[in-house]
Amino acid sequence: MIESIISYGLAMGAAYALIAVAYNVMFSTSRVFSFTAGALGMLGGVCGALFIDRLGLPGVVGLLATLAFCAVVGVVTEFVAVRPVLRSLDQHLYVLSTLALCLMIQQFTAIEWSTVPQPFPQLIPVDLLGIRERFWMPVVACVLVVGGLELLYRHSMIGRAFLAIAEDNFAARALGLPERGLRVASYALAGAIGGLAGFASGGIMLAFFANVSPFNFYGFIPVALGSIGNNRGAIVAGIALGLFQQAANFLVGGVFSSVAVFSVFIVALLIVPQGLFGAPPARRV
Amino acid sequence: MSVTRRGVLYGSLGAAAAGLSARQAAAAGEPIRFGWLTALTGANSAPGLGYDRSIRYTVNKINAAGGINGRKIELITRDSQGDPAKAVNAAMEMASNLKVHAVFGPVNSGEALATTPIFTRFKIPSLGICVVNSLIDPVKFPNAFRLSPDNSQWDDAVRHYLLDILKAKKVAVIGDNTGFGTMATALAVENFKKAGAEVVYDAVIEANAQDVSPNLIRARSAGAEAIACWSDSTGLDARLMNARGQIGWDVVMAGHPALGSGDVAHLLEKPEYWNKVYTVGYRSCSFDAAGKLPPRQAAYIEEVRGKFELQDTLLWWVLAGVDAVTLVAEAVQKTGSSDSDKIIGYWNSQKKWPGLYGDYAFSPQEHNGYPTNDIVMSAANTSRDGALNIAPGYAS
Repeated sequence: MIESIISYGLAMGAAYALIAVAYNVMFSTSRVFSFTAGALGMLGGVCGALFIDRLGLPGVVGLLATLAFCAVVGVVTEFVAVRPVLRSLDQHLYVLSTLALCLMIQQFTAIEWSTVPQPFPQLIPVDLLGIRERFWMPVVACVLVVGGLELLYRHSMIGRAFLAIAEDNFAARALGLPERGLRVASYALAGAIGGLAGFASGGIMLAFFANVSPFNFYGFIPVALGSIGNNRGAIVAGIALGLFQQAANFLVGGVFSSVAVFSVFIVALLIVPQGLFGAPPARRV
Repeated sequence: MSVTRRGVLYGSLGAAAAGLSARQAAAAGEPIRFGWLTALTGANSAPGLGYDRSIRYTVNKINAAGGINGRKIELITRDSQGDPAKAVNAAMEMASNLKVHAVFGPVNSGEALATTPIFTRFKIPSLGICVVNSLIDPVKFPNAFRLSPDNSQWDDAVRHYLLDILKAKKVAVIGDNTGFGTMATALAVENFKKAGAEVVYDAVIEANAQDVSPNLIRARSAGAEAIACWSDSTGLDARLMNARGQIGWDVVMAGHPALGSGDVAHLLEKPEYWNKVYTVGYRSCSFDAAGKLPPRQAAYIEEVRGKFELQDTLLWWVLAGVDAVTLVAEAVQKTGSSDSDKIIGYWNSQKKWPGLYGDYAFSPQEHNGYPTNDIVMSAANTSRDGALNIAPGYAS
């Protein structure tokens, strides 16, 4: 039981954490929660199966093609569903526009791909330290993304520009930073991260168009729990979510595990509304 | 010229007759609108895709041969995506706007529970394949007829096999969280207990649950000697079989026909994980010990071979689709009318209508048409052309 909780919990937690990071990366430059994050996760699994299983591409090429495709979907999201509503952020129209695009992607996938779960290919035929690929791959992907983002944000000009836009959009523009270009780049990056989440967890989630909802819902929980925009918080909360979900699966079982997850989520937000890693809001006096 | 009362009467009769014949003439050229409502996309779409192939083939075949009494069949398909709300909208559109003459579907019980009263309100003859018992009631729903067994008949077949043939005493019951899965699980638990078996574990699981090993570990710990499985989600079925194999549990699984679907095979980590899995099956779609199907069904397979895929679906889904179209077409042909009362009256008069999926018997008092004796269990991993071998233990 413990082995299953840890293996499945860490793997799914890492996948949720990656989706949460995709949410955050998009949010940081646009202040928009794009619900296409779940669609990107779903596309990661479907594209991986398509490129490797059906088209016969080598695993690495299939992975790169998947990431490139999802990055393009991210860019399309910025142009189609985000840019037109940025001027009226206070009306939260992005909820409708990104959700609509997400549903369109899902339905298109259902029509063109398959309406029933399809197998995801095994890339490496041997286990790593006795751990099956579908369990270690999401965790490795998560570690690589965390490390990559740290390098990007702390040791590159473009990363610092991302942070500047996230910190103060108007000040960054006043300094001459190309805000639109950076926003498009952040959506491409989020697309690749979301696609990687689906690709890495394909062995568990399978290549299934209906994976959009679990990725969207369970991927959003670490965003809120880990404090909005905080990638480290999202990673910790995502892993914790995966472990708790799997433990609940064993302890209460069946459909009640989802109830347990969302109950704890609601209680946690009641206690710390700013998230586990966020500072309390400043009090006006 | 004087206007007499008799003249007015004759004139009215003449005008009425002229109007009637004009309507009949229009009806004669009017297509027979056959509504086909099902989930063609979504987690529970595997059955719908199977029926859809034979329905299209049969409609095209009838139309190519000139139609029914000179009238073509117009196939009106709507995809409910497994969502009862969408099914209700489609049913309203079919009944109110498109004015279909008869309808087949939905094939998912959760949707059918929502749409059956709608078709009844509009008096549309409807053929169903859902197994939930309450869907058929000749008093409440005089227009609704069932081609498949009801849930009790399926449940009887599984329970009989596990308890009487395999001699299991302790069973686990697992279903998915759809309307059908929830009801079937509850019914199975109740009936196992009534039959004297001990239900040591029962659970309703999300149809898209990723890890189901906790459920199987609990069932094994509770001492289950067999598992009754009630889910038509091929993803969940495959995950249950994979989890059973991974924990090294050599227990029998028996239940919903989707356990034998070709889509399950693609998702299994090892082919042997499909061993000792038995699905509800039918004598009409089962290979006997000599590996042969009944002659009529074998002839149909030869007819459609190469015209549509049979390997990734179930033969009974395909054959039921043929029977649905044929029952409507024959009712219109024999009665010369597509009126609701005529079609329903024709179906009510069938004592043993020889379909491909089954020989149905309907009456004004009984709209469950499938013969119970033709329900058997089949070995899930023996599919050829969508048909399966009869499970071990049955007398041939």
